[in-house]
Amino acid sequence: MNVLIVEDEKSLAREIAEFLKSEKFLCDIANTGNEASEKIAINLYDFVLLDLGLPDYNGLDLLREAKKINSEASFIIITARGAVEDKVKGLDLGADDYLAKPFALIELLSRINAVARRKFNITSPDIVLGDFTMQVQSRRLICKGKEVELTRKEYDLLSYLVLNSGKVLNRQQLYEHIWGNILDDQYDSNFIDVHIKNLRKKLNLHAPTPWLETVRGVGYRVNTTQEE
Amino acid sequence: MLKLQTKLSLFNLLSKLIFTALFLVFMPYIMERINLRQVDEDLIQKREQFISLISDIGIEPFMTTDSSFGSFNIIKEEFISLEMTDMEEDYNFIEETIRDIDNEEIEYRVLNYTFEIDGQKYLLEVGKSLESIERTERNINRVLIPFLLFIIIITFLTDTQYTRYILFPLEKIKKKLKRIPDPSHFDSKPVQTSTSDFRRLDDALCEVMENLNQMFQKEKDITVNISHELMTPISVLRSKLENLMMKDDTGPEISSKIEDSLRTLHRLQSLVSSLLLIARIESNQYLKEDSFKIKDIVDEIIAELAPVAEDASIDLSGNMKSDCHVSKANRSLLFSMFYNIVNNALKNTPAHGKVIISCAREQKRFIVSVSDTGTGLTEEQKQNLFSRFKARDKNSGEGTGIGLAIAKTIADFHNIGIKVESEIEKGTTFSFTFSENS
Repeated sequence: MNVLIVEDEKSLAREIAEFLKSEKFLCDIANTGNEASEKIAINLYDFVLLDLGLPDYNGLDLLREAKKINSEASFIIITARGAVEDKVKGLDLGADDYLAKPFALIELLSRINAVARRKFNITSPDIVLGDFTMQVQSRRLICKGKEVELTRKEYDLLSYLVLNSGKVLNRQQLYEHIWGNILDDQYDSNFIDVHIKNLRKKLNLHAPTPWLETVRGVGYRVNTTQEE
Repeated sequence: MLKLQTKLSLFNLLSKLIFTALFLVFMPYIMERINLRQVDEDLIQKREQFISLISDIGIEPFMTTDSSFGSFNIIKEEFISLEMTDMEEDYNFIEETIRDIDNEEIEYRVLNYTFEIDGQKYLLEVGKSLESIERTERNINRVLIPFLLFIIIITFLTDTQYTRYILFPLEKIKKKLKRIPDPSHFDSKPVQTSTSDFRRLDDALCEVMENLNQMFQKEKDITVNISHELMTPISVLRSKLENLMMKDDTGPEISSKIEDSLRTLHRLQSLVSSLLLIARIESNQYLKEDSFKIKDIVDEIIAELAPVAEDASIDLSGNMKSDCHVSKANRSLLFSMFYNIVNNALKNTPAHGKVIISCAREQKRFIVSVSDTGTGLTEEQKQNLFSRFKARDKNSGEGTGIGLAIAKTIADFHNIGIKVESEIEKGTTFSFTFSENS
């Protein structure tokens, strides 16, 4: 998929591009609003990551223009101004999602994937994790024909790890994804650990979970390749 | 300390009383003087009338029977007498004498006047009783004193009302100043007044407040702008570190170090966004349009934190005697506020302790309190509890220590009163008072 990264902070644009390339995206960078405007007019993009705080262009104007020229593209707004009005205005103008700086690259990827799934109406296939099967559509976890009772937060935590399987997610990334950014003082590493502990306890009642790994000093990872 | 209005009224009353007293002391003397003069003029006028009568009709008609003539009006108020006399000297004076008339002693003011007709000298006496004058004086006094008292009371009341009316703008200005927690809440609507001093005072106050407000706003804007500016470099660093982390060739040691850096960076991010949050709340960038039950929020918080409490063997429970419905509030901010407080309570409570969230209605307001059986706070800790950064506790872990400052800001934003009670080794209770207008 083609992604245009519109971001005046060159260094950040490069990092996003590097990450998305490693996830098999084709990336293009525009550091100014004018450059972005030209690129959108010439090329067809599936995704535009748009920083609203451009020095030469009102981000929302650019969004309006770009939507006219390339209505097929999906827009994800990135901004350092986490103000609610910006978010509402952006979404009103047809942006598909909104991310406040600083964000986790993993989170960006999962938003892009979610938008893509919505757009192309992709039904997510069930995912097999050892003896467990995650039915993504119905948000259920089945083990040996029986449903595992999970709280909403526990399911979200597990599914985020599963969607990013193979990658180590740290506590901050997990916390931000599930609890959002609104509670600004709540960086309790303990918090995620407690939830993972409870999750493991519940799962282990049904079957062992070697695929849910703890990476010492870093975080957690779901590893589907090392099965059995 | 007396109020200006009380002082004015007291002075007013005192000055009235003094003037009245002076008046009452001097009035009889003045009245007497005026009356005597009046009487004397009367007597002289009567004399002239009588003399002109004599010159018209001659003296004979008065001297028919005797060598004297006397005439009284029936109530003996006035008399005229005329008699022949052999006195050498001429009389023309007024005196007060007591006359015995029909066995009645009456005090008269008498004009004595001598004149000559055809070589015969006559003495004319014109008298007027002072009785009637004294009676009039007494009567006047009897009416005057109650009247004066009445006037004093009436004018005192009207004066008091009027000073109250005139000082009303001052009261209003006072009230305006009393109500505000900070300059942004100052009501800059001019106070209605026709007194130029108050106008000037009010204008000056408005101007000072406006300036202060602008300074405050500037400070808040700076905080907001700096926070935004800081977010971009944090964002760059974070992405770089995350990209590094995902490289396959990093060993566990390096990964651990990168994760450490990410953690530190996140602390920085937390700090900046906390400051941003506080600055945003203080500059009224949040809406207060939600209606909800505090009970729902408490239930949510308990559900959210139950696993953490359980893990630390703390009994976390709610005791909601009322739904505590609030309107015109910001739900997510109030959620953050209670969440911070409950989370803080959990952190400061040792294993097998208790944290209870309760809500009770008290007439028109209700109180939500969060009590723990934790370590408690020292007096000094209690004082610095809500100041930014000062409350940082050594064993509060990875928090930025700004959670309580955020809670306080949110409470102020909603006009919610916060009270902290604490006893060392016994526990701490945070009480939030929601009054009718919060």
